[in-house]
Amino acid sequence: MNRRDIELLSAYLDGELKPSELAKMESRLKSDPELESEMKSMRATRTLLSKLPSRQAPRNFTLTRKMVGQNPRLPRIYPVFRWATIAATLLFFFSIGINSFSTQMASQQVAFGIGGSGGGGDAESFAEQAPAMEAPAAEEPAAPAPAEELVAPTEPETYADSANGVEQPTEIAPTDDAARTGEEPSSKTAESENAVEASPFVSSMWQIAFVIIALMGALLMILMRYISARRWK
Amino acid sequence: MINESRSDKINSMNEQSLIQDAQSGNLDAFNTLVLHYQDSVFNVALRIMGDGDMAADASQDAFISAFKSIKSFRGGSFKGWLMRIVTNACYDELRRKKRRPTTPLEPETDDGEEMDSPRWLADSNMTPDQQAEADEVEHAIQHCLDNLPLDFKTVMVMADIQGLDYAEVASAVRVPLGTIKSRLARARLRMRECLQGFAELLPANYRLEDGITA
Repeated sequence: MNRRDIELLSAYLDGELKPSELAKMESRLKSDPELESEMKSMRATRTLLSKLPSRQAPRNFTLTRKMVGQNPRLPRIYPVFRWATIAATLLFFFSIGINSFSTQMASQQVAFGIGGSGGGGDAESFAEQAPAMEAPAAEEPAAPAPAEELVAPTEPETYADSANGVEQPTEIAPTDDAARTGEEPSSKTAESENAVEASPFVSSMWQIAFVIIALMGALLMILMRYISARRWK
Repeated sequence: MINESRSDKINSMNEQSLIQDAQSGNLDAFNTLVLHYQDSVFNVALRIMGDGDMAADASQDAFISAFKSIKSFRGGSFKGWLMRIVTNACYDELRRKKRRPTTPLEPETDDGEEMDSPRWLADSNMTPDQQAEADEVEHAIQHCLDNLPLDFKTVMVMADIQGLDYAEVASAVRVPLGTIKSRLARARLRMRECLQGFAELLPANYRLEDGITA
């Protein structure tokens, strides 16, 4: 009994012999008692193994979504809200950025305009002085008429133009008012801010809209996640 | 064997759609497959590992990795594919066990040595006689399985205990069909030799003394 015979016998018991091998094996089994005995012994082993009781699984091995790291299914519209929220948030911060940039630009423009026409003094002192004219003008209607007329427009560009156009009154006005307003630097600063913020690049209505969209989007996303998670359970 | 494979093919009609659903991430479809195959998977693990708790852990790991890699299933025998995954899970578990040895699978003598004679089976049960006898046969077979090289044991468990055909075993173990044939034949010879030591436990019609000429 060689190894090849053992393999053939084993395959014979499993019905895995080719037809030609099968015919040969069957005729050999009839004529060779030793081979037949070997076959029976192997068949008994095989039968014993196949009769081994099948054990029931001690528990169900079904998977939970947590086990496989699956998240609850979100509504199809969910990404729309996500992108809307992201876009609104970015636009909001962008609008803040661009507004402060335009404010800076405007204040520089004002300072440059006065500095150029005045031909002396440092830009900052002019930047402070120039808008300061507005405060007394508003508070005191009795202030000199030409100065009041020129200062009245709040737009920096207009102001710059006027500053260029008429040098004399602008230089007079600060000298008059500077003495008075110089005692209250904080009120001057506040006034100067008002003067430039009057024309933001992005209007505050849009900014409010961006904030509302971002907040609403975020709230709806939280709600969708909550509902999905509840349904999922 | 032929009848079994035919019935598998009939089931596979329904199985195919479940597999497709599972491949698109449907966990419920996959769980239906789990419920269908969990006993087979657990039994393969149990026979390879010889320990129920470890087999349960390996089965659970196998199903988790089966779900994660189900997209890589490209047709053929799903059972064979599952068997490959559970076999790998068992090998991993056995490697872990080798690194951190725990309780031995067999009872120990007072000297702390493992018993490997049939005597250890005698006092292992308190169940009724018939059950005890069946359990002892099972223990004997498990003992012999545990003594087989891992490659032989895996092939034997799949072919003789799970009833997979050679092609399914070959795809599960990823070795050529000829190797399966040869491993199975040699495993059967070794198994028979081992079971001779348990002759008194075996059924009367199981005559091992016949044809021991190899």
